Amino acid sequence: MSPREFGEAWALSQLSPGIHLVALAGLVGRRAAGWRGVVAAVAGMMIPAAAITVALTAAYALIAASPIARAALAGVAPVTGGMTIATAALLVRTTARRSRAHAAIDVGVCLASLGAAVFLGIPTLGAIGAGAAIGALALGREPPTSRESSVG
Amino acid sequence: MDALALFAVFLKASALSLGGLSSLPLLRADLVAPGIATDDQVVQAIAIGRISTGPNGLYIVSLGYLVAGVVGATMALIAASIPPLLIVPLTAAARRWMLTTPVAGLVRGVALATAGLLAATGIGIVMATGAPSWWQLALAAIAVVLTYRGTVHPAIVIAIGAAAGLALGR
Repeated sequence: MSPREFGEAWALSQLSPGIHLVALAGLVGRRAAGWRGVVAAVAGMMIPAAAITVALTAAYALIAASPIARAALAGVAPVTGGMTIATAALLVRTTARRSRAHAAIDVGVCLASLGAAVFLGIPTLGAIGAGAAIGALALGREPPTSRESSVG
Repeated sequence: MDALALFAVFLKASALSLGGLSSLPLLRADLVAPGIATDDQVVQAIAIGRISTGPNGLYIVSLGYLVAGVVGATMALIAASIPPLLIVPLTAAARRWMLTTPVAGLVRGVALATAGLLAATGIGIVMATGAPSWWQLALAAIAVVLTYRGTVHPAIVIAIGAAAGLALGR
């Protein structure tokens, strides 16, 4: 696989639903060995990691009800909340367009979604659907000095 | 909730999200609101997903295990693996179309809307106890900064939270 092919696979994987790394593994696997390559790449990436995740969860479940675990959770909960907020900010940083005017519009769309969720209680699917419609109609254009030209 | 219904919930969240943690708002709406999972379980799953190997999106495997044991984890794993692979036949059939302006805009719009929902979910997790104390709000702020900068491993950030909880949470 050439750097250019990998760059395009990466760009396409960012368009996929769900976990982007699974899409990237699938695209690389298909290029390497067809559909058997897809299965091998995705299984190789997901199954060991999932097994470790289940083992960690099962180990934690053994002590979850103890007073010590309950006390620790009082600190872990706000940390995971903060991590989730930071993940949202990182998503905006990688998604928003570079020019100042476009970036302002993009951040505005994100804040509108945040406000609609917090203050209006809009259904999650409704916000995603609205984002898709607004995006397809109005958020596609980008000045030529953007990341897309560097993907190759 | 039976295994098939759980699979449907995980599949919907995976298919309508963009990237690892962005399935969280849909999962929280479909599992926590009806009382199938608790916010505590969501917190535990996110923390374990961050500590464990593999993509962050594997937190749903941990959540699946907490809700329905090994069957739940298996349902979550399959549901997380299928939607991203749609890109493989789509790319084979319409590679040029995938890289057009309207598609880029659609994906950007979904990502930005999802980011807003994700931020709202994060705020919801911080406020889940009803009245977080000053040190919990401070921990949340520290986690935002450390995670955004990305210079400290997530496991260390979670360990800081656990230590603070042990020291101040009893």
